[in-house]
Amino acid sequence: MRDPRRRAALPPGRVLADIGLVAQRNLRKVLRNPRLIVFSTIQPFMQLLLFAFVFSAVATVGGGLGYKQFVVPAVLVQTMTFAAMGAGIGIANDLHTGMIDRFRSLPIARSAFLVGRTASDSLRLGIQACLLVLAALAIGFRFQAGLHGAVGMIVVVVLFGIALSSFSAWIGLAVRDPETVQAAVFIPILPLVFTSSAFAPISRLPGWMQPVAEASPVTAAIDTARGLALGDDVLVQISGVHLHTAAWHFALWWVAIVGISTALAVRRYRLG
Amino acid sequence: MCYIQHLMFDESGMVATDGGVIAEGLVKRFGTFTALDGVDFRVAEGTVVGLLGPNGAGKTTTIRILTTLLRPDGGRATVAGFDVVREARVVRACIGLTGQFAAVDDDLTGRENLVLVGRLGRLPKTAAIDRADRLLEVFQLTDAADRALRTYSGGMRRRLDLAASLMVAPAVLFLDEPTTGLDPRSRLDLWDVIGELRGAGTTIVLTTQYLEEADRLADRISVIDGGRIIAEGTADDLKARVGGSVVAVTLAERHDAARAAGALAEAFALPPGEVSTDSEVGTVTVPVTAGGDALVAAVRALDAAGVRVADLVLRRPSLDDVFLALTGHHATDRRPEQPARVTGRAMG
Repeated sequence: MRDPRRRAALPPGRVLADIGLVAQRNLRKVLRNPRLIVFSTIQPFMQLLLFAFVFSAVATVGGGLGYKQFVVPAVLVQTMTFAAMGAGIGIANDLHTGMIDRFRSLPIARSAFLVGRTASDSLRLGIQACLLVLAALAIGFRFQAGLHGAVGMIVVVVLFGIALSSFSAWIGLAVRDPETVQAAVFIPILPLVFTSSAFAPISRLPGWMQPVAEASPVTAAIDTARGLALGDDVLVQISGVHLHTAAWHFALWWVAIVGISTALAVRRYRLG
Repeated sequence: MCYIQHLMFDESGMVATDGGVIAEGLVKRFGTFTALDGVDFRVAEGTVVGLLGPNGAGKTTTIRILTTLLRPDGGRATVAGFDVVREARVVRACIGLTGQFAAVDDDLTGRENLVLVGRLGRLPKTAAIDRADRLLEVFQLTDAADRALRTYSGGMRRRLDLAASLMVAPAVLFLDEPTTGLDPRSRLDLWDVIGELRGAGTTIVLTTQYLEEADRLADRISVIDGGRIIAEGTADDLKARVGGSVVAVTLAERHDAARAAGALAEAFALPPGEVSTDSEVGTVTVPVTAGGDALVAAVRALDAAGVRVADLVLRRPSLDDVFLALTGHHATDRRPEQPARVTGRAMG
């Protein structure tokens, strides 16, 4: 008794339900590890204090802008680099324990595992970003471009986190070992953060570093976040680019990183 | 029968299947290494087949292909009547899999694990919860149902893993080394559970390195070595291949092994390769045909060689003897553990 329809694609409702179940499972895991949540929020908060109170004593960015105002969007973006490692580590763990084999042996949509991972990561990153924004407001950071700018900045920060998570997910599938993932994600990302507009305006960086920093995806994300948080005028003053330019730059990088990482990750996932 | 409502749009949600497993000429290469070199394998519906072989023989690779986790480079296979490559998703709806490494989530509770697998396996929420409750009871995990799995013992985890693979009453159940790494007590418990599933008519493919396990649980055994099936039949069929009986000698002094083997080979006019020795434990086994006379002959030969004997028995060949006869090497590098005896001693 065979039915030719047996190979029909799963109905969208089913795919969404599978994604929801996978995401729910990931979030449960996060909530069951309160230590991880506490540390992953405290660490960037410490960094925020360091930059806002210690570095601001010596660092100036010109244009009458305080260093605290300058650095908060960058710290948020940088935090996402740490947080995104969670995706790769989680996937490597799932490979290691055999959970991926369990999922792959079930009649669920192939995309559910990776999309469910992205969905739960986005929520986790979003919560973390909001907590940090509250902390930043508490120590005197102020949005200068209204509420929509504030919301926009958080969205950009989380989007950046999702892009890094997709990269990290691929690394997790390729490297397979949770500890190696940490190094493999960090090694390419950390220098990118330092050679960007994160902690100093690009014009103040060493000459050879400037073209690298200008092309960097991290610069694109940070400039877009700054433009949204502080306003286009301020962004032009400190970075020499308009918000819409930075946003385009960011969008292109985002599509490229997410597209390539996802394609590679899906291929890895299928191969098993 | 498989629950594949989402695929069939059939009113009952059930589809009759041809059942069983058929694998023909499965080939799988990893780079230059040929893991499977033409595996033929058949499991009739409602039977238990043991895939027996040492580490690296190709057991897990075979299971991974049959459960759609790996694509074969050659050959074809059907599970419950569906092709594992072209109809992979339908196959997934028809199978349960308990892997070599417990594929359950440490951070979730036992109940959450089961419900997750059930719902991903297409059970409605309430049905998944009900079935999880029932399985937790059957596997004696009700008390631990709401504890995170990281607090479970190895045996409990394995039982939960098995329960997970039964959430969606599978047409074919794959158990990849289900008792590896378990203590003797847990192994016996798990054997009981698998025995009950077998009694209920579940089609089961079981891989194991333990001869005793295959002997006890499987209706038929396929012996795999070097990526090929080298023998197939019931445990008795395979034992008959060794022919007659085996004289097994346990030596008082381990270092006498070589001398004892030499004396026995001469006494029974066998080439030295037919006599197997384990100098670590101090045992020598010889295949014989003559029954009681052979025992007398063995005693005389050993006495003449001046070998002191701790124990001497005439017995039917074990599957380890079969394996040795078929492949020229033991089924496992280490001696297989013997849980029944250990437990008996512990209780005595």
